[in-house]
Amino acid sequence: MTCDHPIEHLVTVRSSRRLNSQTTVLTLEAPLIAATAAPGQFVNLSCDHFLRRPIGIMAVLRHEGLVELGIRVVGDGTRELAQKRPGDQLSVLGPLGHGFRLEGLQRVITVGGGSGVFPLFFVQQVCRERGIDALAVCGYRSIDESILRDEYAGLGCQTLFAADAGDLDVAGHAADALKQLLCQLPPVPQTAVLTCGPRPMMQAVAALARDYQLPCQVSLEERMACGIGVCLVCACQVREADGATGYQRCCVDGPVFDAEVVVW
Amino acid sequence: MVTTAVQVGSLSLKNPVLAASGTFGFGREMAQYQDLSRLGGICSKGLTLRPRAGNPPPRVAETSCGMLNSVGLQNPGLDVFLRDELPFMRQQGCAVIVNVAGHSTDEYCEMCRRLDQTPVDAIELNLSCPNVREGCMLIGSDARQIESLIRQVKQETRKPVWAKLTPNVTSIGDMALAAQRGGADAIVLINTLLGLAIDYRTRRPILGNNTGGLSGPAIKPVALRMVAEVSQMVDLPLIGVGGIMNGQDAIEFLIAGASAIEIGTASLIRPTACTDILEEMTALAQADGVTDLAEYRGTLRLWGY
Repeated sequence: MTCDHPIEHLVTVRSSRRLNSQTTVLTLEAPLIAATAAPGQFVNLSCDHFLRRPIGIMAVLRHEGLVELGIRVVGDGTRELAQKRPGDQLSVLGPLGHGFRLEGLQRVITVGGGSGVFPLFFVQQVCRERGIDALAVCGYRSIDESILRDEYAGLGCQTLFAADAGDLDVAGHAADALKQLLCQLPPVPQTAVLTCGPRPMMQAVAALARDYQLPCQVSLEERMACGIGVCLVCACQVREADGATGYQRCCVDGPVFDAEVVVW
Repeated sequence: MVTTAVQVGSLSLKNPVLAASGTFGFGREMAQYQDLSRLGGICSKGLTLRPRAGNPPPRVAETSCGMLNSVGLQNPGLDVFLRDELPFMRQQGCAVIVNVAGHSTDEYCEMCRRLDQTPVDAIELNLSCPNVREGCMLIGSDARQIESLIRQVKQETRKPVWAKLTPNVTSIGDMALAAQRGGADAIVLINTLLGLAIDYRTRRPILGNNTGGLSGPAIKPVALRMVAEVSQMVDLPLIGVGGIMNGQDAIEFLIAGASAIEIGTASLIRPTACTDILEEMTALAQADGVTDLAEYRGTLRLWGY
C-alpha cells in the first residue's frame, strides 16, 4: 500500500497579524491542507516544545493555497507560535478530526465564545459558498478582548456581538445573545446551532438549542498529543448508543460532537 | 544494501523496528499514512480481558523532553480485538505482537490461552503499566511474582512470551533474571517511568489520575542503561524501548544489547516515525560500512576500571 494522503507538511508562514495581546492570526502556505480542510477541523503544529499544538482552522483561501489559523496564547508553545514571522517554516499535521456537518442544513447559527469564534468563521465562510443561510453570535469578555468583528461583519451575515462587560450589542454571554436572536427569528426547517468556546458557554448554548428543538453541534477541547487517534489521551466523555457513558477521542471522533451525546 | 532482518528468539523479523504498544493503536490510523508492511512489527494497544474505559482526563502533560500519560489501558477488550482488529493487523504484512495486561495471574493466563489459538506472532506481557491499580506494575515490581506469572503463562501458550518490564524498580537486573527463570522468550525494556506534573496555580496534579508514565527522550538514558545492564545478566534477546526519536537513537539501543527496538512517543509527534527511523538506521549503517544491522548488537565497549 502506498501513502495515500500525506499527513505531515512542511509549510511556510506567509504572514502574521496580531489582533490583540493574546491573539494572532497566522497565514500558512499550505495548499494541500487548504484544498481539503473542512470547517471544525484542526491542524497539529510543531513548536520548540515536545508536543505539537492543536489549532483550529479559521479560514482557507483555496485558490491561493493559504490556511489561516487563529492562535490564542495560553502557554509557552502558543506564545512561540504567535511570534512566528513571514518565511518561518513549521511542520504541520492535518487537516485533522471530524468537523461540523453542514449537509442538508438550510440555516446555520454559529455561537462562538472568545477564541471559539475562529473555527466558526470557517463555518460562516463555507455557508456563504454553499448558499446556506447563516447567522452568527460572537461573545467576548469585553470590547477590548473582541476579535474578528470586522471579519464577521464583512461576511454579510447577521451577526450579534455580546460582551460580559456590556460594551457591545448585547450585554451578557453568547448564550444570552443567542436567546435574544432565537426569540425574534422566524423558524426555518433544517436549522442547526453550531458552537465553540468555553465549556460552560457551550453547555448553556446546547441547553438553549434543546429548548428550541434545534440540533446542536459542539466543538470540544481536550489536552491532546498525537491528534490522529492512536494515543487515547484526549478522552471526551460521551453517551454511547446503548445509553452507557464512555470515552471517545477528541481528535478523531471529534472535535465536533452532537451536543446530545456530550456528558457535561 | 544493508541486511535488516533480525531474530528475536524463534521469531524472525524483517527488520528490528517495532511500533510500541499504546502509541500505534491497532495500526488502522497509521496505515493511512504509511505502508505498515515496512515495519518489523506492531505491538497492539494494551489489552485486557474485558473492555476498559481508561482514566478520567486530562491524560497528558507535557514535560521537558517528553510527556506524561495516564490513559489507563483504555481498550475494547480481548473479544472485540480478536473479532475486529486482529484480522486487520494480520493483513498488514508485518509481525503482530499482542500486548496483554491482566488484573491477576488468572486473567493473564486466560488471555494467553485464548491467544494461543490465534495467528499472533508473540505475546508481550505488560508487567509495567503505571496507570492502573491492579496487576501490571504491581506484579512487575516483584521478582517472585514475575517469575511465577511467566511460568504459569508459559503453560498456556506456545507463542513466544515477551516480558515488558517497568523501570520503577530498585534492581532491573533482578526483575530480568526473574523473567528468565520463569521462562520468558524475550525481555522488553522499558515501560514508562512513574511521574507527577503539578499546576502551581491550582496546586493540583495536571493529570486526572494524579500520576502518569513519563516517556520520550527524557527517559532514553535510563532505558539505555537498563538494556546495557540486563544484557550482561541474562541470555535472552532484549527489545529496547524508551525515547527513540531517530535512527541514531535506535542504533544506540542495538549497541547496548537490544536485538530489536520499539518506537513509542516519537510516533505521536511524527506519524511516520517508525518507517523514517528504519530508513535512518539503514542510511547510518551504510555510511558506517555496516552491512547487517544485527552486527551492531551488543557491541558496547565499556570503559575498563
